[in-house]
Amino acid sequence: MTPALEVRALVMEYASRRGRFRAVDGVDFSVQPGEAIGIVGESGSGKSTLGAAIGRLPIPGVRRVAGDILIDGRAIFDLEEPTLRALRQSELGFVFQDPIRWLDPTMKVGRQVAGVLEQPSDRGTVEQLLESVGLPDAEHVAGRYPHELSGGMAQRAAIGMAIARRPKIIVADEPTAALDASIKGQILDLLVSRCAAFRTVLLLLSHDLSAIRRCTQRVLVMYGGRIVESGETATVLSKPKHPYTSALLRSAVGREAPGGRVEPIPGAPTAFSARQEACAFAPRCAFAVERCRSSRPEPRRFRDRDVTCHRADEAEALDLEGTHHGRRNDEP
Amino acid sequence: MAAAMMSLEAVTKIYAGGPPWSRMQVVAVKSIDLAVAEGETLALVGESGSGKTTLGRLCLGLIEPSRGRVLLEGQSFASLRGRLRGRLSAVLQHPQSSLDPRRRVGASVIEPLRIGGQTSRRDAERRGAEMLARVGLDPSFAERYPHELSGGQRQRVAIARALVTTPRFILFDEAVSALDVSVQAQVLNLIKTLQQEIRFAALFITHDLAAARYVASRVAVMFRGEIVDLVPARELYGTATHDYTRQLQRASGLEESAVAPGAQGETQP
Repeated sequence: MTPALEVRALVMEYASRRGRFRAVDGVDFSVQPGEAIGIVGESGSGKSTLGAAIGRLPIPGVRRVAGDILIDGRAIFDLEEPTLRALRQSELGFVFQDPIRWLDPTMKVGRQVAGVLEQPSDRGTVEQLLESVGLPDAEHVAGRYPHELSGGMAQRAAIGMAIARRPKIIVADEPTAALDASIKGQILDLLVSRCAAFRTVLLLLSHDLSAIRRCTQRVLVMYGGRIVESGETATVLSKPKHPYTSALLRSAVGREAPGGRVEPIPGAPTAFSARQEACAFAPRCAFAVERCRSSRPEPRRFRDRDVTCHRADEAEALDLEGTHHGRRNDEP
Repeated sequence: MAAAMMSLEAVTKIYAGGPPWSRMQVVAVKSIDLAVAEGETLALVGESGSGKTTLGRLCLGLIEPSRGRVLLEGQSFASLRGRLRGRLSAVLQHPQSSLDPRRRVGASVIEPLRIGGQTSRRDAERRGAEMLARVGLDPSFAERYPHELSGGQRQRVAIARALVTTPRFILFDEAVSALDVSVQAQVLNLIKTLQQEIRFAALFITHDLAAARYVASRVAVMFRGEIVDLVPARELYGTATHDYTRQLQRASGLEESAVAPGAQGETQP
């Protein structure tokens, strides 16, 4: 089966006043139709650059240095502008963090929705689509401007627009970061169910581990522009093998024991100007040894996952969990 | 039990709603009684529009209650008047907009002291440097501008600024919501440590139940202007008894129903 999405040795750079930096430093993965994949990482891990690259969305200063992205077997960097536009319209959908800012402020929601539909459509289809994303009072919503909607409603409308043409892939970049905790779950469930209905790939980019757990079967953990660990979500997030994954899990509130402390990851991520010839996480890693600082780790395949770490085969012996990592499930 | 530092007695806040000629009223906060003890963090959770921020503003004396009283150390705000300054302070969600972009960090941190007018420039500067060290920032940060800082560093500066006058009460309004997971942990731990040292009373407003139960000793759940549940934070590590609180737990991924698909039902034969 042709993968719905294939990313091959992708390298992306961005230019800033202080020079060029690598946002994505050699990323490989492929996704089958209908899969729900999470990409997790902190700000600066490269996940948003990667997400935007999938639609070749222009970000000022960002360019591809090497590698390819294939959608349904077609290399998108070779496409002419009109073909690319057609591909974005029919095969791709994007959902971003702040729907109210992302929607056109000068146009009523109904008109914007009609704009993405295949047929120059009548009001009925627009309302049907809005109803399908859980906006029962579709007629009312269609007649509003984005700023007149709540964040949750606007995000529902944005999801409706992203899914309208039954695309192959939906890229959702922190779709719930700007929303209230009480409606986050509903929005995530909506995304998952709409994607499942059309066998659309869901690529969920987030630093919210509970969202990734809730929505995805497979997870890619990114750090310093590379995938450091990937595998089944439940496995990777319950028994991490990469020190970064483990540190990230231990720093998140929500899984600590009552009265326990979360441990922030020491230091801060650094930006790199060229291909890294060492492990990007080494400066912050509690388990780093000489070889981590002097040679670039390559992804290694294990039974249930891939890990990009020099010490991956010692992972079990390393006590990644830390001694006082109390997870609720382990409570007596 | 320590005495109440900040207390609200039957506080109600009513805003006029709709167009100016209408007599529509919105009850944002509905006769709330609440007390925060010295050295205590009380978390206030609830969705947008539940009245959390209004309650926070009442505690700072930025708005006056329509009914009821707000007291600091047993004295009503009305009687304290000008003496409130320096005793109350706040840390807000977006430090990039709460710090003056044209002012160096060092100057921003000591501004509250300078406004108070009782501290000499030299003492203020010494105190500012001390506060920066307290929040884990190198003295060289004093010379930088906010845009040169990361989100977590800016929030540290905001905390240093809030603490510089040794306030008795601090409001944290969504203070960690905009931060990355790991940075969130740094700031939450910083707040916990500083509180043990300085013993201020704090109201921690958030929509994130996980952060609330981590940082606070008690959690108040607000819904449509009322406090519907008030529980020790420890209890939120199990399943809450109140319906709405449980709903929030589920939404924050704190209940087991949030485990990945496929993992459910495995305990059942």
